[in-house]
Amino acid sequence: MIILLALAVGIGVGLYVEPTVPLGLQPYLPIAVVAALDALFGAVRAQLEGIFDDKVFVVSFIANVLVAALIVFLGDQIGVGGQLSTGVVVVFGIRIFSNAAAIRRHLFRA
Amino acid sequence: MSLLVDTMAASLDPAYAEAAKRRDAAPAAPAASRRPWAVVGVAAVAVGLVLAIGAVQTHDRAPDAARTRARLVDAVQARTHTTETLQQQLDRLRTQTSNDRARLLATSGAGAALDDEVNSLEAAAGTVPLHGDGLRVRLDDAPAADNSNPLGGTDPRAGTGDAVSRVLDRDLQQVVNALWAAGARGIAINGERLTAQTAIRSAGSAILVAYRPLSPPYDITAVGDPVGLETRFGTSATADRFRAYHDLYGLRFTYVRVRGVTLPAASALSLRYAAPVSGSQP
Repeated sequence: MIILLALAVGIGVGLYVEPTVPLGLQPYLPIAVVAALDALFGAVRAQLEGIFDDKVFVVSFIANVLVAALIVFLGDQIGVGGQLSTGVVVVFGIRIFSNAAAIRRHLFRA
Repeated sequence: MSLLVDTMAASLDPAYAEAAKRRDAAPAAPAASRRPWAVVGVAAVAVGLVLAIGAVQTHDRAPDAARTRARLVDAVQARTHTTETLQQQLDRLRTQTSNDRARLLATSGAGAALDDEVNSLEAAAGTVPLHGDGLRVRLDDAPAADNSNPLGGTDPRAGTGDAVSRVLDRDLQQVVNALWAAGARGIAINGERLTAQTAIRSAGSAILVAYRPLSPPYDITAVGDPVGLETRFGTSATADRFRAYHDLYGLRFTYVRVRGVTLPAASALSLRYAAPVSGSQP
């Protein structure tokens, strides 16, 4: 419950303040978005499976964003940033999809 | 493809399962794990914030780019409009200047003579449109032989045509010179007025007149005494040569008298020696 509330607060603040992302950080925005979605779906699934753990949620979200950003940063330095960014998005996208499927199975038993 | 299989199978972070196992092993923990709700809340706020920023970036920045583009288009159109306005102003001022000059010069006999001289010089220099009867010479490439160009086009830049059956810049130069020699007072090629400084040259296989590319057929319009022009041009060595070209290579060459044609003023005329008189602002 608190999580949903905090999520709504975060979205509201983001929409209300409309913060500008510095130009140097803009390549990492898509990755942060996908990592955030992944953490969110993972948390919902874990909650439904009854194994949700707050510490795991926090640490996995922050670590995933940082590692993904680091990978893309390294890729940028050696000229394959765009491709690595695509790879990160693909991996997270697959995870989001399977988590969403698991959530669906839990909710609808189908 | 074990990587993809792993990704699909272990889509949920394995840490969740391990944490659950740890909790089962030590049932005393639950009280402790309830504590950091604030941390979870902050993390959830961060997740929401990231999602919102992503959405804002996508939906606000894209219109930004479109707005920038629209502004640029507006600026271009405004400048074009300004240029047109200035061009019209220039034309108006030129007309006004020549009217004023004619009026002032007409007050004295010497002035009237000077005015006549200026007018004839302007016509010769091509700075004013020239209207009158004259002669029109038409030159065109020979019809493409059946096997020379499978597309049958006459693209002047294609460069596939046979060189001897094409009109070259030299040909236009010779015809123009013959027309001047025959007494033309002004000449235009496809609507490009020729002045003493106009270059007729080729770039690639296109012919440029006053740096503008022309495409065949080439209409060379000369204003002058039609009968005299036709007689003198028709008996010139140049006309003889082009008749021979027509017979030998199929180059198309015709000329006809025309009545009441208007040659436009030459474009982009620049003053080289004239300078504004200093200290006499009107």
